[in-house]
Amino acid sequence: MAQIEPSDKGGKKKKGAQKKMQIHVDFTPMVDMNMLLITFFMLCTTMIKSQTLQIVLPTNEEVKQEQQAQAKASEAITIILDTEYGDNGKPLVDAETGKTVHHIYYYEGVADTTFQTTNFLREQQFIGNVNRQAQGIRAILREKNKAVMEQYEILKQQWRNKEITKEQFDELAKQNSNDSTKTRPVVVIKPGPNCTYEGLICALDEMQINQISRYSIELPTHTDTLLLQEFERRNGRTIIRPTVR
Amino acid sequence: MGKVKIKRKSTLIDMTAMSDVTVLLLTFFMLTSTFLQKEPTIVYTPSSVSEEKVPTNNLVTILISSSDKSGKLENAASVEGKLFISFTGDADSTFSSEKIRGMMLEEAVSIYNDQHKNAPVRLTNQQVAEFTKINMFGVPFSVLPEYLSMSITDRDKFQGDLTQPKVGIPIDGNKNREGRLNEFQIWLKAIYNVAQRINNEQCEGLDAEQRARVQNLYGALMRQGKGIAVKADKDTPFTVVELVFDNLQTMKLNKFSLMTALKSEDEPTQ
Repeated sequence: MAQIEPSDKGGKKKKGAQKKMQIHVDFTPMVDMNMLLITFFMLCTTMIKSQTLQIVLPTNEEVKQEQQAQAKASEAITIILDTEYGDNGKPLVDAETGKTVHHIYYYEGVADTTFQTTNFLREQQFIGNVNRQAQGIRAILREKNKAVMEQYEILKQQWRNKEITKEQFDELAKQNSNDSTKTRPVVVIKPGPNCTYEGLICALDEMQINQISRYSIELPTHTDTLLLQEFERRNGRTIIRPTVR
Repeated sequence: MGKVKIKRKSTLIDMTAMSDVTVLLLTFFMLTSTFLQKEPTIVYTPSSVSEEKVPTNNLVTILISSSDKSGKLENAASVEGKLFISFTGDADSTFSSEKIRGMMLEEAVSIYNDQHKNAPVRLTNQQVAEFTKINMFGVPFSVLPEYLSMSITDRDKFQGDLTQPKVGIPIDGNKNREGRLNEFQIWLKAIYNVAQRINNEQCEGLDAEQRARVQNLYGALMRQGKGIAVKADKDTPFTVVELVFDNLQTMKLNKFSLMTALKSEDEPTQ
């Protein structure tokens, strides 16, 4: 490992003169060991930290009907979430995109129990953005929350142009989404019996993306089932699948 | 003509520089690394656009196990929905993880014994000390003494086998906060009580810095909803997660966070 070599500078050596020694230390084992340690640390560490999504649920205590804040029918939009399952009992994954297939059925206003309106319940999907344009359910929610989103885009532009700081932007965006003078929708998210956790998170994400400050998570009611059945009848498709679990 | 003498060159490469570089890299990894916490089961969290980071201290994590993904089990859903809890305290010693865990355990066991007078759980000091070292646990109270007497490897093996009925904190649909609580609710009540007690009692006679720390802990657990994080797999049915949400609501801990991975706004789902 460490060698001491006599220096071999040519020429004759004087008798009695001390030999000059060169010291070579071989660092190869040291490097080997370091590499091993690096590998260990690289495998054991998490570089990516998880994110969190904050959520506030109402209390479970029974609230009297009169005390409940009733949303205006024109502002309400209800979305029913459903996830398709494959034959193996696992959520179905789209072969093309590699993503789980979620279906969204939504209606605006109060549920139409007379089933007279055509296309009362409509179907959508989580598509995200295509060429920076909102698609699918996002486009519908954005349209509903237009007043807030217009101001939000202006704020975003100001932030991009460095006219306001990130903190100011956050504060103003929050004020904007809670601005009661604007027409804002109230979204009721109803995860169906087959909906996965991912479906719910996607729906909550849409709320955040579209700056919707008023939303709630509820379980589907009997009326919702009837609406889905009506949808099946009109479109000649089976959309209510047996509950997987 | 004299012979041309071919000089023999040594093939030794100077590794000093290489060693310098590796040591630098090593230092970088050592300083930036946060170790993966051992969890009894692996879940893949769904992705979201939320950019808020998971806090590293003052956090209660509730892990919900997913159904079997290896395909080895006949009934994949049998291991689904098992609950595990982990308590993380402050990085500072005032409210270290060990101290918080000890307080939570003491409180939870006393609530449990109060409700199950004919079958109380007794823990020795050593078992309590063992508990303060465990990151994530999920066993019913009745199994707790046995679990805490095991060696670390046995404990991991025991907890890792989710098919056992003894693994996972029992939970049901009880909605009565004052009545007989299920075991998950007992732990939640312990969190609630400990946070209240720390806030009420320990604020007196502390300097400003310590008081700020108490406020931090209390605020995280009770008010801002940053102190309780629910971690579940993206393919877990909502009904399983909903049961946990419902229990949290019953125990008046209705502000909490959901653990997610990051994605961009353009993507529809993960």
